[in-house]
Amino acid sequence: MEHRLANGLHILVGEVHSLPILSFQVHFATGSRYEGPGITGITHLFEHMMFKGTKELGPEEFSRIIQANGGTLNAFTTTDNTSYFENLPADKLELAVSLEADRLENLRLTQETLEPEREVVRSERKLRSVNNPFGLLIEQLFALAYEQHPYRWPVIGWDHDLRNLTLNDCREYYRLHYSPNNAVVVVVGDVTADEVFKTVEKYYGHIPSQPFPRLTIPLEKPQRGEKRAVFKKVSQVSAFFAAFHIPGITHPDLFPLQTLCAALSGGRSSRFFEKFEKPGKAVEVRAEMGSPPFFSMDPGLLQIYAIASPSLSLDTLEKEIWEEVEKLRQQPLSQEESLKVKKQVRSYFIQGLQTLFFKGMLAGLYQVRAGDFRLLYSILSSYEALSADDLLRVAQKYLRPDNRTVVTLMPVSQKEHEDLGELE
Amino acid sequence: MSAGAKFRSFALPAISASLLKNGLKIYAVQRPQLPLVSIHLVLPYGAEADPPRKAGLAHLCAEMLTLGTQQHSASQLAREIDGLGAILSAHSGWNSTSWHIFGQSEDFERLMSLLLEIYTQPAFSPEEFEQLKQRRIATLVQQKDESGILADERFQEILFQGTPYDHPVYGTLRSIPQIFWEETGEFHRQRFLPAGSFLVIVGDLPAEACFHWVEANFPAMSQDRRFNSGEFCVSLPAEVRTYLFDRPDLTQSQIRLGHIGMAHAHPDYLPFEVMNYVLGAGGFSSRLMQKIRSELGYTYGIRGLLEPRKQAGPFTISTFTHTETTFPCVREILSVIQSFLAQGATEKERQEAINFLTGSYPMKFESLSQVAQRIMQAELHGLGLEFLSAYPERVSAITLDEMGRSAREHIHPQKVTIVVVGRTERFHREFEQLGPVELME
Repeated sequence: MEHRLANGLHILVGEVHSLPILSFQVHFATGSRYEGPGITGITHLFEHMMFKGTKELGPEEFSRIIQANGGTLNAFTTTDNTSYFENLPADKLELAVSLEADRLENLRLTQETLEPEREVVRSERKLRSVNNPFGLLIEQLFALAYEQHPYRWPVIGWDHDLRNLTLNDCREYYRLHYSPNNAVVVVVGDVTADEVFKTVEKYYGHIPSQPFPRLTIPLEKPQRGEKRAVFKKVSQVSAFFAAFHIPGITHPDLFPLQTLCAALSGGRSSRFFEKFEKPGKAVEVRAEMGSPPFFSMDPGLLQIYAIASPSLSLDTLEKEIWEEVEKLRQQPLSQEESLKVKKQVRSYFIQGLQTLFFKGMLAGLYQVRAGDFRLLYSILSSYEALSADDLLRVAQKYLRPDNRTVVTLMPVSQKEHEDLGELE
Repeated sequence: MSAGAKFRSFALPAISASLLKNGLKIYAVQRPQLPLVSIHLVLPYGAEADPPRKAGLAHLCAEMLTLGTQQHSASQLAREIDGLGAILSAHSGWNSTSWHIFGQSEDFERLMSLLLEIYTQPAFSPEEFEQLKQRRIATLVQQKDESGILADERFQEILFQGTPYDHPVYGTLRSIPQIFWEETGEFHRQRFLPAGSFLVIVGDLPAEACFHWVEANFPAMSQDRRFNSGEFCVSLPAEVRTYLFDRPDLTQSQIRLGHIGMAHAHPDYLPFEVMNYVLGAGGFSSRLMQKIRSELGYTYGIRGLLEPRKQAGPFTISTFTHTETTFPCVREILSVIQSFLAQGATEKERQEAINFLTGSYPMKFESLSQVAQRIMQAELHGLGLEFLSAYPERVSAITLDEMGRSAREHIHPQKVTIVVVGRTERFHREFEQLGPVELME
């Protein structure tokens, strides 16, 4: 059930009474796609600052109160949205609503809390990117595949920008993006829609809406030929990460593309496992593009990556992988394989529906990224309706060498690693 | 038998348990919300049963069972499982080995037949074994690039040296090449459905239907096959010892700090759990997170964890920090522990810990696999099903005195082992202030 407050806040409610718990989620329609050069990473850093206190609450007191009431909580930032959530006993709805509304209205931003948090985020960047075996490789893949669109920089931001973001940048970001008319509240669990609407109205109703910032997000032009790069670092293995441009979340071609990914690397009967992993030609080969509701808002990337094993050169492995992908463009899947992969994607989706958190994510992210949560109701039928011809058509349309970007990881000695400069 | 308890309007799902005529214990929980079923066959031994110099044998053996039967080759089996939209996986922990099938409840009988076939008629194909072994070796080579995993492995090896817990469950680059095909078949035959094995089935099915199918089809238990890893006792070092592993390419150090803790069934486990929420496990409510992350900005994450095992598991504080703050970070961690031991938790902290552990308890029963995991842990560690229903009230009764005593008796900052993986030349000397330092390969 849905409702919209006068200030534009959108509310979605799913009543599920199997356990006395609820998932309360606030999804803001702001992600790294709304940033610009020089302030990359501000969306994510700002998400951290949302836990640093309000006029009434001290730093981290938000988290402490939620946990002290039997709740778990967290937040995450993506290219397209910033989401905050609390999973709580069902009788704690009002607590979650009041605390979330408080930080939307009364956040306290100070230099004293910004400075340590900047270092926390830089530590997170080192964890996820710099010291991750393949983190910087993936950053380079996006930076090469996109030339104009903001997806070309990482959500966590470039280290140089993280070091230079100011308190004023944070204040400006808060003013522009954190308003009720730029958010969707989702509550799923042992609640009634009526009590949710009344409680949200009570705490959010008086918060004024803001005019939307005028933003022009450049569209990426179609790629006209393969792009390649090499990344050198100390590594035990060589590897490549490749990407093909695909459409955004509302496009129906995403379902056959996701099903093709299952044919390539879904389970031990998949083509990549049988051909490369099982005989030890590769440590790992995967085709991935996310699954509903995590498809990107704007045209995204279908990634294929391979970690080579010592028994086969990376060049040979890559050549054989592209031959395998080419087969998808030449021959339709057999009826048996087509049925198998359709059942797999359908079954994996149903498995996700076990938790209130995932159900809330489905509604919230479809609303924020696609503009309509109702699209989630057609996901299963979209899988059902697929034919082998649909799969062949999207393979031919998107998995073309000209639409491909490839970054290879070349292992080097410690000396050469150091000579190439400091990683950051 | 049926266990159920109400706490703050939460009733545990009804867990039906039965000891079948074939000797197998089975737990079944009906969850009709989605047309799914989660099936777990559990044996009461894991990597603790690996013979000396054969680290990873239990894990390889568990995996071999998923790689073909006498009726279906590995590829045929994989096609069958994937064709049902199901997932088959083998798990080997410290104290258990299990096979898990997750699929749609309409396929229950087919999934059970496959599980039975996998377990009773494994092919143990030498070709599959050789490929599996090579895959494992290749994965372990790649894993050397993962500094967090490296730190975990080295920390536990040093802590548990000479005990059954002294190696990674998946083996090492030294041990896996020394495991041969014949050994996996023999390992399986010797441990076929030993006493203490059990099944857990959670999903959109009546318990009686599960019992009936298993009774009619599963083989008898082998009551004469028993596994006992034997008690072990390791004394703590007399001083703080630091082990530094050099990875000059890293810009951030991985840190592990702690010592051997206590077994899951130890009477002090629950007071320790409540106490440790305040010290290290309570996220932003923990003293360590407040100081090391929120105040000092040294790290994105820090956590203290006592791992629940049949015998004493490790109590580990895990974190990572910029190379230049490596030693200050360790020094501050020790200082937080010492001040916590001196002052103890406050009554407010105790109440918050109890509210969290009891209030969030229903969320641990949300998915089918979560329900199964709760049952498995209670059974494997000898806690009994009543532990699940009594947990909230037992936690609520923990006093400040009990928390303080569990901290003083089970946390020893003067005897911790510290493992750091990072650019050691930048902080090597500083660690000598704490005690002996060893530079490791």
